Amino acid sequence: MKMINIFKTFVMLMGIVVFQSSCKKLDLAPKDRFSELNFWQVDANVNNALNNVYNSIYTSTNVFYNEAMSDNAVSKLDVNTGANTIGNGNFTIDLARFRNDWAFYYSGIKSCNLFLENIDKNTTLPMATKNRMLGEVKFARAWHHFNLMKWWGAIPLLNKDITPEQAQIIARNPKADVLAFILSELDAAAVALPSRDQYAINDNGRITKGAALALKARVLLYEGNRMAEVATVCEALINNQSANGNYSLAASFSDLFSDKTINKTNNESILSLQYVPNLRMWGDYFDFAPISEGARTNNLSPTQELVDSYIMLNGKAINDAGSGYADSALSVNRDPRLSATIVYDKYLWTKPNGTSVTIYIKPGSTIAPAPNSNEFSTSGQGTATGYYWRKYWDPNYVGTLNNGTNIHLIRYAEVLLMYAEAKQTLGQLDATVWDKTIKVLRTRAGFTEATALNFPGTLNLQNIVRNERRSELAMEGFRIDDIRRWNIAQIVLNGWMHGAKYGDVGVDNGFIRAQFRNFDPTKNFLWPIPPSERALNPNLTQNPNY
Amino acid sequence: MILKKNPAKVLFKLLKPGKKYLVILLFILQIFPLHAQYAYASPKAKRVGYLQKEQPGIYGDKLTLNVKNEKLVTVLEKIEKQIKFIFVYANDDIDVKQKTSVTVSDKSLQDILKLLLIPLGINFTIVKDKIILQNIIQKSPLAAGSDGKTIRSDKTVTAETKYFLPITGKITDENGSPLQFVNVIVKGTGTGTTSNADGIFSLNIPDDKLKGTLVLSLVGFITEEINIAGKNNFAVTLKAVSKDLADVVVVGYGTQQKISVSGAVDAIGKKSFEGRPLTNLSTALQGVSPNLIIQQRNFEPGQRVNINIRGLGTLGDNTPLVVIDGLVGGDINLLNPVDIENISILKDAGSAAIYGSRSANGVILITTKKGKKNSAPVVRYSGTYGIQAPRITYKPVAAWENAYYKNESLNNAGLSPAFSPAQIQQFKNQGDGDWRVDNIFQNAPQQSHNVSVSGGGVNNTYLLSLGYLDQKNNFIGPNYGYKRYNVRLNQSNDIGKLKVNTILSYAKVINKDQPFDASTLIVDASRVPLYYSFKDSSGNYLTNPVSAQYNPKAILENGGERNSNNDEIFGNFSGEYAINNDLKIRGVFGGTVGSNATFSAQKTLNFTPGGAFAPDRPIYDENSKSLFTNVQLLAEYNKKIAENHTLKVLVGASNESFKIEASRVQKTFVDPNLGVPTTGTIVSTLSYNSVNGTTETSLNSLFGRVGYSYKDRYFLEGNARYDGSSKFAKDKRFGFFPSGSIAWRVTEEEFLNNVKSRVGDIKLRASYGVLGNQNVNAYQYQTTFFNYDNAYGFNNNVVGGSGYSLGNPNLTWEKAATFNAGLDAGLFKGALSFSIDYFNKTTSDILYPRLDIPLLFGAGSPDFNIAKVRNKGWEAKGSYNLTGKNFKHTFSFNVADNLNKLISLASGATEFSQQVEEFALLRRVGQPITTYYGYRSNGYFQNLNDIKNSPNFVNRIVSPGDLKFVDKNGDGIIDEKDKFILGNHFPRYTFGFTYNVLYKGFDFSAFIQGVGKRDAMIRGEQVEPFHFGYGGTMYTHQTDYWTPTNPNAANPKIAEAGSPSNANNYRTGSDRFLFNAAYARLKNVQFGYTLPAKYLTKLKAKSVRVYFTAQNLLTLSKLTFLDPEITEFDNNTTIRGTGANSARAYFMPVFYGGGIDISF
Repeated sequence: MKMINIFKTFVMLMGIVVFQSSCKKLDLAPKDRFSELNFWQVDANVNNALNNVYNSIYTSTNVFYNEAMSDNAVSKLDVNTGANTIGNGNFTIDLARFRNDWAFYYSGIKSCNLFLENIDKNTTLPMATKNRMLGEVKFARAWHHFNLMKWWGAIPLLNKDITPEQAQIIARNPKADVLAFILSELDAAAVALPSRDQYAINDNGRITKGAALALKARVLLYEGNRMAEVATVCEALINNQSANGNYSLAASFSDLFSDKTINKTNNESILSLQYVPNLRMWGDYFDFAPISEGARTNNLSPTQELVDSYIMLNGKAINDAGSGYADSALSVNRDPRLSATIVYDKYLWTKPNGTSVTIYIKPGSTIAPAPNSNEFSTSGQGTATGYYWRKYWDPNYVGTLNNGTNIHLIRYAEVLLMYAEAKQTLGQLDATVWDKTIKVLRTRAGFTEATALNFPGTLNLQNIVRNERRSELAMEGFRIDDIRRWNIAQIVLNGWMHGAKYGDVGVDNGFIRAQFRNFDPTKNFLWPIPPSERALNPNLTQNPNY
Repeated sequence: MILKKNPAKVLFKLLKPGKKYLVILLFILQIFPLHAQYAYASPKAKRVGYLQKEQPGIYGDKLTLNVKNEKLVTVLEKIEKQIKFIFVYANDDIDVKQKTSVTVSDKSLQDILKLLLIPLGINFTIVKDKIILQNIIQKSPLAAGSDGKTIRSDKTVTAETKYFLPITGKITDENGSPLQFVNVIVKGTGTGTTSNADGIFSLNIPDDKLKGTLVLSLVGFITEEINIAGKNNFAVTLKAVSKDLADVVVVGYGTQQKISVSGAVDAIGKKSFEGRPLTNLSTALQGVSPNLIIQQRNFEPGQRVNINIRGLGTLGDNTPLVVIDGLVGGDINLLNPVDIENISILKDAGSAAIYGSRSANGVILITTKKGKKNSAPVVRYSGTYGIQAPRITYKPVAAWENAYYKNESLNNAGLSPAFSPAQIQQFKNQGDGDWRVDNIFQNAPQQSHNVSVSGGGVNNTYLLSLGYLDQKNNFIGPNYGYKRYNVRLNQSNDIGKLKVNTILSYAKVINKDQPFDASTLIVDASRVPLYYSFKDSSGNYLTNPVSAQYNPKAILENGGERNSNNDEIFGNFSGEYAINNDLKIRGVFGGTVGSNATFSAQKTLNFTPGGAFAPDRPIYDENSKSLFTNVQLLAEYNKKIAENHTLKVLVGASNESFKIEASRVQKTFVDPNLGVPTTGTIVSTLSYNSVNGTTETSLNSLFGRVGYSYKDRYFLEGNARYDGSSKFAKDKRFGFFPSGSIAWRVTEEEFLNNVKSRVGDIKLRASYGVLGNQNVNAYQYQTTFFNYDNAYGFNNNVVGGSGYSLGNPNLTWEKAATFNAGLDAGLFKGALSFSIDYFNKTTSDILYPRLDIPLLFGAGSPDFNIAKVRNKGWEAKGSYNLTGKNFKHTFSFNVADNLNKLISLASGATEFSQQVEEFALLRRVGQPITTYYGYRSNGYFQNLNDIKNSPNFVNRIVSPGDLKFVDKNGDGIIDEKDKFILGNHFPRYTFGFTYNVLYKGFDFSAFIQGVGKRDAMIRGEQVEPFHFGYGGTMYTHQTDYWTPTNPNAANPKIAEAGSPSNANNYRTGSDRFLFNAAYARLKNVQFGYTLPAKYLTKLKAKSVRVYFTAQNLLTLSKLTFLDPEITEFDNNTTIRGTGANSARAYFMPVFYGGGIDISF
């Protein structure tokens, strides 16, 4: 009897215990996030999703550090970018940079595809707004595919969102298919998008009809064999500005990159990475500027080869007969874009407060009270070549050289250069075309002598057009694309990259050896498909010779 | 006969040697007249002859007697009440007023009388119905020339009638407290007594045992045998049987007798922590229990450590569950080590399954000290004070040497030298600058003070403890350091059948930190060559080409500070009600309230000639508050069924809920002096409010335990828990975690009695069960879209953006199936005890992102239940007591190993590698979870011929002095396919060894802890001379490098960053970066002195011990330039402590100091 009573009590207690434990609810949802069910219905969310597409379109790091893959610059530390390693050919195919870029573009594509596939869940946004948004997103998707194609050639084309399982079997589409897709998407975007003039002022910075056309021209230009189409698209941009947007060169080359107002309100920028002082900034200048001007280190140094490419005010290259060039007076009578782009020894640097300071780079040359921290040294954090950067210097920087200026991805100067190059390749670059393109650019740069401004005749014209492109677009990431598509990478990326003439006169004429370069033309025109991707997707083939 | 005056005297006058018959006769004669005349002392004396018919009770009836400190006469009366005898004695012979104590039950009369009377020096004779008492010691002197010995043996009428020597003694425990009720027996006789409340015993020793042995025994103490050797005064210390099988062990939701434990539970007593200058409990646990592995990522005050039981079982969080006084959710690092009574480490399924979904990584049960019932207040003070000296592990070469090496490095890269011979000579002449890491460190004091009062009455206990720790930081600067205040009140009250237990504790931690990342400060201070100094002659803080941005000395001295101020209140209220003897119910309500605040402000510093710190003057406030609540209801049923069966049942239910809300305000460009907003102040986008900083989780559970034992010889136990967690979707939420275990005390078997008595106790154990792990982030099962600010800008205005994180609705528990087998032994009367365990744990459904998804999918994978790990290992621990004449030695050791193996990683993918700067980490099926991965070097290219004939990377330019790599697949070129698994970062063969010795009042102990096998891959300036252009110096451990005349050097040729040689030797991840991080470290040494009793009375103290103590005095390791103890990994197997793998972590402090313990 007693045992039974105890048992009864026990069972009763257990009942209480069970009851007590079932009281607390376990369905806890986060309070700071939306779910799949309620996200797209909210207009503000759709706008935010679109902004996210913009956010992941490109990075400042790639704009600048891609220069170190070319003969324009070396990156001493090469931290995280891998550009230097690619530049000197000393890479293995598992280099993180290859994976990172591949992942970056495909994650951008996913954001685009998710947007395109879900926007119809929203029923409250006006149709016109939705159409414009579709144009913006299609441009972004084409942009990412173009970058992938540029580095890898044939790539898996993703015109819709894929599942993990599809990602494991999808194969590379022929390059021609990818190209066709990019071009048709850009055409569709150009139709859907307003021109820059049709946007409200608050939309300044959005992708425009002009941007879609300019990118189309670049895509065609990079093909090399479609120059007539390049010319046609460029002509549409140059000649039909009422439909495609009013573009012109900014008055000052330097202000386009450094003036806080002109950088953002000029008529030259076709598409820029948009930044806002204090709130959304880029910090790469911390590793570019002269050390005395607040930099931490110099991780991207302009090469002597780039410096030498700037012509004289008389239009001659420095090694042309009668150029008037002397190593000892490197900056005298040079293309004004040299001093707008590069800091050399005894450069008169304008500080944010308007005062000037001389930047002494030659070892042991500093005259007090100027700081000696900028001097070239093989130890320490200063320049690896004897040069620093000036282009994109932002005198209104915040804190540790954080910049709120925009970084131009496509600008009207490039359209003019594309047009000149296309016409030159087609054998159609005459004085008329010259005057519309290179003359305009050189005039804006500050050239005044007729020998520089007037059409030089067809002799050596290809080099002149190409060199113009290098001088105008230095530090904007184009050089590596150009030397690959011109098929000269194996020539210019072969042997030592140099710095200023601070070395042993017996070695390379006294120009310091900064870095050894090697480019293997049998394979390096394309990047290797990351081996980790191929391990997971057996249908991804490798590029030749990797 | 005139006997009245002095009967013995008269009697003896009549005695002559050799006349034995006469003696006997006279003796008999003597008794009767004595009785006739003097026997009136006995109240029952008048009833002489009343009960003559039978004589039961002598050997038949059993009697019970329980008296304490009563007069002998009273005791005799009590005996008379139970039996039909009367006592007869002479009043002037027997002192019946003397007091005595005796506790016997169920003994024959004869036995009782022996126990009662012999110790008092009284002999007895039973004659018919009388018990005649007689003093053994003759009070009259012996007649001249007589041999008392012979005489007395002659007069023996019972076996016990011999010559006796009185002895006395005092018995105390190891702390000097008197021990009562100790049985003191003369070996081989029935002679014995027990000690009184003061630990005093007195006994008369039969003369033939003067060279015999005393046996002192008391339950819970090691039985002592002492040679009497003619001495008459003894001071004996009995040692508690620490490993006694009768010990009680804390287990989940209760306690168990040690003998009945069938799982792998290791109990750590407070002894392990005493006298050590410990700053927190987690570091205190290092080396004290086998396979309880403690690792640090740096040694800065207040830093968290990795706590791990039995190695890595999952790819996620391996942190064990910590339960403090029965409640989950407190912070182990906020406990005062002095407050700890004991810690139980639950290692296997058998012991841990009752904690269900969170037990897979093991459980640490911490019990704090309590007062004792019926004890007067004890006030105890303990304190330590000492100096911490940073153990700086590397040294840069002199400035002029550095210049020489730099030139060589440049030369080897085909570049021109940086220094002329004249400059080098100048460096030599002017000596070194002071820019070295030693100069941003200093010796710093550390002290702790603890006061407690404890005690209890008949129905209550109390303990109040106050603690204070002040550990100064070794960084120079304005008094950086870590302070902790602890208050604890533990109380219990018995109110009838209800027992109420209250635990309240409060901890406050104030940590004042340097304003900037420690590893950056250290690296900036350590990789600048000695050409430079921190300050110029006018006191300006300098920068130089190597550290162009920061001057670490300036930042430490003037750069601002970071202050954290954290409070935790822990409360635990429980009531236990005994419904009857067998059934109890217990309700527990408790929780932890945490409030953490951090404030950081950096001040702008400008250096000469350039570089600046914090030009934007950032300042932030971070606040969080958390609440953890725990409600438990338990019922416990214990029943002894028949004689040999014991049944124990426990069932319970609980809810545990956790919520944390955090917010942060961050601003830049605040007022430089006040830190308040001013013109230009910007609220940073890193600010967030509590909506973003809230996490909430909840867990509902049912659990139970059934234990059965037979004859305390066979034990069976089952544990189970049923958990429902908010971390998983509705249909994946509930998990059931059962375990079963058995134990067999082999030596309790009768056929092994022989073994038991000669060797000792042996117990075998085995357990199997399934444990869970839900250490994953909340809300992961849902796909969510989150908004963020400053995604992009239009027209110079920022706009927000929306990102998404994919969810996995099928997310559920990790499950660890664990087998454990063990053996416990207590041999040679407890002198040697040891335990051995083997375990095999397979964790499946491990949460891990899918690795089989190519990057072109475009988004990260959420966690899936996909990976599987097997973790096997063993552990052993033991202790040995060696007691010599004056010395008492105790040796204890523990050693353990574990090795995990990845069984499967992700659906379809069998490996994943992650590049960490130069080398890679690899996860590959069939290998340990995380391995170092890279090329294996094979000496150096010695000449051009060698280069021509050796495999190399395609297109790679190498020169003599560069590393050669092993061509694993023999295809003539070095590529991806030639990578090896180079090492395992997780410690193996971990061990701890403790030696204690006592000599009179002196004590000495040494504690050594170490790791027998561990690999560490280290990068940075300590491995690479002139590290990658970031570093400007070489260190003394790097100077043995390849030159044509030093072809077998330890290091390859030095060459500038950017050169092919540098790329080959230092940008290629190889075993160049691999180091042997095994070590043995003298963690603690103590030398103490306990004051003898005679001084204590003057001091009015119960005990006083003063001691010298030192931590980390000696380290043996092949890895010299970096502390071998630190790891770059956190407990999630991900790299977190980047200072650790670059030798940039805060250095380990070596502590020297002293302490004092006083109790009143």
